[in-house]
Amino acid sequence: MTSRQWLFAALIAGGSAMGLAFVQTQDTDTGATPGAQPAVQTQAVQPIPFRHDIHAGTYGMDCMYCHFSAERSVDAGMPPVATCVGCHRLIPGTENPGAVQEVLDFAERGEVIPWVRIYKISDHAHFPHMRHINAGLTCQQCHGPVETMGAIEQRDPAWRGDNMGWCVSCHVELGASRDCTVCHY
Amino acid sequence: MSGVIKRRDFLKVAGVSGAGATLTACNTGEVEKLLPYVVPPEDITPGVATWYTTVCGECAAGCGVWARTREGRAVKLEGNRGHPISQGALCQRGQSSLQGLYNPDRYAGPMLREGGVLQAVTWDEAETLFAQRLEAAGSNVLLITGHTGPTLSGLFDRFLAGLGGRRIEYEALSEAPLREAARIVFGQDVLPHYQFSDAQLIVSFGADFLDTWLSPVEYGRGFARATAVTGAGTKGQFVAVTPRLSLTGLNADEWLPIAPGAESAVALAMASVVAESGGGGAGPYEEILEAYTPEEAARLSGLAPEVIRRLAERFVSEGPSLAIGPGVAGHHRNATAANLAVLVLNAVAGNVGQTLQLDGWAGQRARPYTELQQAMQGSGAGEHVVMVHGSNPAYTLPAASGFREAFQQAAFRVSFASAPDETAELADLILPDLHYLESWGDSNPRPSIYAVQQPVMRPVPMFDGKQTGDIVLSLSARLGRDIGAATFHDYLRSAWDELRMSVPAEQAAGGTGDAWWRGVLKSGVLRTTTDQVSATPALRAPESALSFDPPELDGENGDYTLIVYPSARLYDGRFANRPWLAELPDPVAKIAWHAWVEMHPDDADRIGARNGDVVRVASPHGSLQAPLLRYPGIRPGAVAISMGGGHTAMGRFADGNGVNPMTLLPAAVEQPSGALVYMATKVTVEPTGVWQRMATIEGADDQRGRPIASAVELAALSVVSESASPEADDPGKEEHTAAEHEELQELNLGGGFVPVPTDGGPEAYPLPGSQYGEYAGAHEMPRWAMAIDMEKCTGCSACVVACQAENNVPWVGEEMVAMGRSMAWIRLERYYEIIDATHAGPLDVRLLPMLCQHCGNAPCEPVCPVFASYHTPDGINAQVYNRCVGTRYCANNCPYKVRVFNWYTYTDVPEPMNWQYNPDVTIREDGVMEKCSFCVQRIREVENRAALEGGRPVADGEVVPACQQTCSAEAIVFGNIRDPKSRVAQVVANERTYRVLDEFINTQPAVSYLKKVTFHPVAAGH
Repeated sequence: MTSRQWLFAALIAGGSAMGLAFVQTQDTDTGATPGAQPAVQTQAVQPIPFRHDIHAGTYGMDCMYCHFSAERSVDAGMPPVATCVGCHRLIPGTENPGAVQEVLDFAERGEVIPWVRIYKISDHAHFPHMRHINAGLTCQQCHGPVETMGAIEQRDPAWRGDNMGWCVSCHVELGASRDCTVCHY
Repeated sequence: MSGVIKRRDFLKVAGVSGAGATLTACNTGEVEKLLPYVVPPEDITPGVATWYTTVCGECAAGCGVWARTREGRAVKLEGNRGHPISQGALCQRGQSSLQGLYNPDRYAGPMLREGGVLQAVTWDEAETLFAQRLEAAGSNVLLITGHTGPTLSGLFDRFLAGLGGRRIEYEALSEAPLREAARIVFGQDVLPHYQFSDAQLIVSFGADFLDTWLSPVEYGRGFARATAVTGAGTKGQFVAVTPRLSLTGLNADEWLPIAPGAESAVALAMASVVAESGGGGAGPYEEILEAYTPEEAARLSGLAPEVIRRLAERFVSEGPSLAIGPGVAGHHRNATAANLAVLVLNAVAGNVGQTLQLDGWAGQRARPYTELQQAMQGSGAGEHVVMVHGSNPAYTLPAASGFREAFQQAAFRVSFASAPDETAELADLILPDLHYLESWGDSNPRPSIYAVQQPVMRPVPMFDGKQTGDIVLSLSARLGRDIGAATFHDYLRSAWDELRMSVPAEQAAGGTGDAWWRGVLKSGVLRTTTDQVSATPALRAPESALSFDPPELDGENGDYTLIVYPSARLYDGRFANRPWLAELPDPVAKIAWHAWVEMHPDDADRIGARNGDVVRVASPHGSLQAPLLRYPGIRPGAVAISMGGGHTAMGRFADGNGVNPMTLLPAAVEQPSGALVYMATKVTVEPTGVWQRMATIEGADDQRGRPIASAVELAALSVVSESASPEADDPGKEEHTAAEHEELQELNLGGGFVPVPTDGGPEAYPLPGSQYGEYAGAHEMPRWAMAIDMEKCTGCSACVVACQAENNVPWVGEEMVAMGRSMAWIRLERYYEIIDATHAGPLDVRLLPMLCQHCGNAPCEPVCPVFASYHTPDGINAQVYNRCVGTRYCANNCPYKVRVFNWYTYTDVPEPMNWQYNPDVTIREDGVMEKCSFCVQRIREVENRAALEGGRPVADGEVVPACQQTCSAEAIVFGNIRDPKSRVAQVVANERTYRVLDEFINTQPAVSYLKKVTFHPVAAGH
């Protein structure tokens, strides 16, 4: 295909897709698009520059100290602000004491820290964290070398929330079930 | 070719830019956030359900409940297995409580009517004003409540005693005539309690104990156990003596269609036969019994004398027996006499103290309408304050009662309703109560049974409600009459401390009782020592003369007696704003959302009306219009209309749906009980010439010779059903099936569908020829299967609502249901086999829950072009939503018609109804096919748990689908059929087992049905 043909095809396709999008938005009373979901980023500026490399890398903290329910629940669990404060009331922070103070401020105000979500699988798939942890997998097998990352990010370009092949290749390799209803229901 | 765009390339580009467009269209522009807790709640693990015990507050039965919460939101209710009333089950209305909790029409906060319009006020302003008005009113204070728990009732009474005011309890479905009859006959002012499970012959004169009457969950279980087939080849019988078959009536083995209001005569005639043939003495009733011979009763009821005599003889010879009164639909002008006649029948047959207990219902006070009527008289005088809590008399009373006018004349009207209703609409001040799932309370259904109603979640934040108990305490403090508790919780706790002292072990232990209290909260129930039931009391004569003849009716010109009956879905109308219940097809009529008028087909022919012809029903008191339903289960000469419709101020789902039959009724009072008369008038019925497409899910009411819902005669069953294996009984069977298969193969080859010539049971999956790949080791895996016993199923439809709650099944509205787009995953089929309203005789109505059969050889699977419909190695016919592209081929090819299609995105529901969604189940959008998944999320949850607990095997009975869980009749059993020790395997190993249509189309379902058992011969193949 020549570049001109590509352009042509893209124009038609884009036009029709936009038309479709227009029809979709007009479809509802509220003007909101059905099934609208906030975007998931591959990397982001977090409200607090939390350093996974310091916590999990330098100090070798266990992931599940903070992500407390990963071995017993489908959800890994996000650390409550109280968990941060539990240590940081005594530890001022070596690299960035200002950030630690911000965490303490959140706790003081009784506010949640609005972390930006980096890892999310589609709503029609269920990922039971505890089965994978109990099967002996490390967190890094899916989330990458977290202990070397400053801000958390999706490094593996193959990992996208909707890339089922990424899941299945591992299931095939390790002999785990490949049945659809293991994840989709 | 390079100059031409290949189709594949074009699609690639379209795909890329399409994805871009979708992103812009489907993103809100926000970045998704992950919000942790500030301080984690102790009992919440994200992703793991937390359960709380509480008490269902929907009716006075007081079923114990387990509420499943996820991340602090209630998502599902189930019966508390340790509670003696619910015994683990819950009815369709109890299942729908979550839609009361998340009702989007709930009041946002306290409101004051100014200039005819409700304006938001603060709680402080509202309570200050309320206190001022109470002070001005002095003792002219009236509180109208529905049923309330003992502690809240006690607080109300204490508060009102201080003011000099009074409290009146009004429940539309109260059994005041039964209570009054028991008081007259036995001298005890209690509602009797029935032991259905001990009875072998149950005769109901109309009470719908499986729909709404007194305690339908408990009685449903007792009834199913009484009528189950025993190993000895016996089973209990149920005879319905009633002019109209309710859902309860459809479960009868025999129907005696009597003239409306003739129950007393039949019951007394039966009693006289029993007394003559050596039953217990009738004491002061001997004279009355002599007057009601079977011949006299026959004349009044329209039955043959020998039918009555024979039933009376069986009532003794085939006992233990139990007779049940006419129920709420039978509240006519002689209703106390009718209930009394039935109690006398039980007494002479020796049932009192056996199947009929006088320990009574403590939680159902069954107060009469006259108390409300008298209290409202004079409420317009002076500075009267009238308060309403948990009752809606402006809707449930006929206009002629004058309640609206009297209420409007009161100087100050207060409603504690948490959501709008017709009475709250007339109020000056609205102080919204919390929903029962958000508040503290307790229940005392029977004398020795207590249970705590604890909040299962924090109040839904968009509604600024306050528990009425807390308002009362705060008002007391404002009025300078401090009751000594800061919150209703403290008040309840101290009330329960007193209760604790009735437990001997705790009395000895002393202390604070905190551990005991936690134990009570955990188990959800407290049994105190039972008061010894006194010996069978001697019969007492009525203080005043009672008439046992058929009652007087208004409307001399009317041709039809009007029967107004409680709705199995909407009860007295209080549940009309819940779309799950509005869309639940009525268990009898199979109609959703709108109203209908039931009339016998012969009568309908006479007025020339088809199904759906809108008729005008008129009484001397009013008229209404609704489409006609030709119903063979009603006696000619009567028409029936359900309660619960025709709301005007209840919310977006209720208003404008259906009709309220109260518009046809006078405000007549039954004597001596003082109950409101529901069977009060005759009506005329005329077609209007308009036809309406009814929102029904019924395809046909006749099986047309197909063995879908089969039955077998009791006499044809082997005596010990376990020893009888069907193969051993029928040596010719193999040959027969082989020949059948050949024929089928020939028939089907042209269509490309090759039946597999095997006759294996559900455990035989996967079929020969498909055991490779993931399926090679499938024989090592479980095969999930279900057994449904049609002998036990009562058709109550609780499973339908439970399934909707568990699986995020949407509701679609009246218009869509009328188009056949109902989304329910379970369809309760109702087929008439024998139903004759003109003669007494056997009744045979087949009730069959139809859901995905999870066929081992499923017709839906090979036609799916994208493999969205396929079979899992553990035997589930799965539907992968994200694969489905909506061709609907599968639904077209499904012989059971159990696949439903999302024509639109029905799941965009008003906030906060979406809070109810089960986070473990995908929410579907338009263009996706769906159907029963065998609650696969529950299977996976149990498997995950078992894997975590050292990889132990899943135990039998650990996976319980939502339908089985809520079934009061215990009709559904689920499990791994490959395990011969599993309950499902044992239940299926029964000569009554069959699989629907399997012998014709070789679908090999995983769902097995057990045939209904009849007392009359059944044609082969049926």
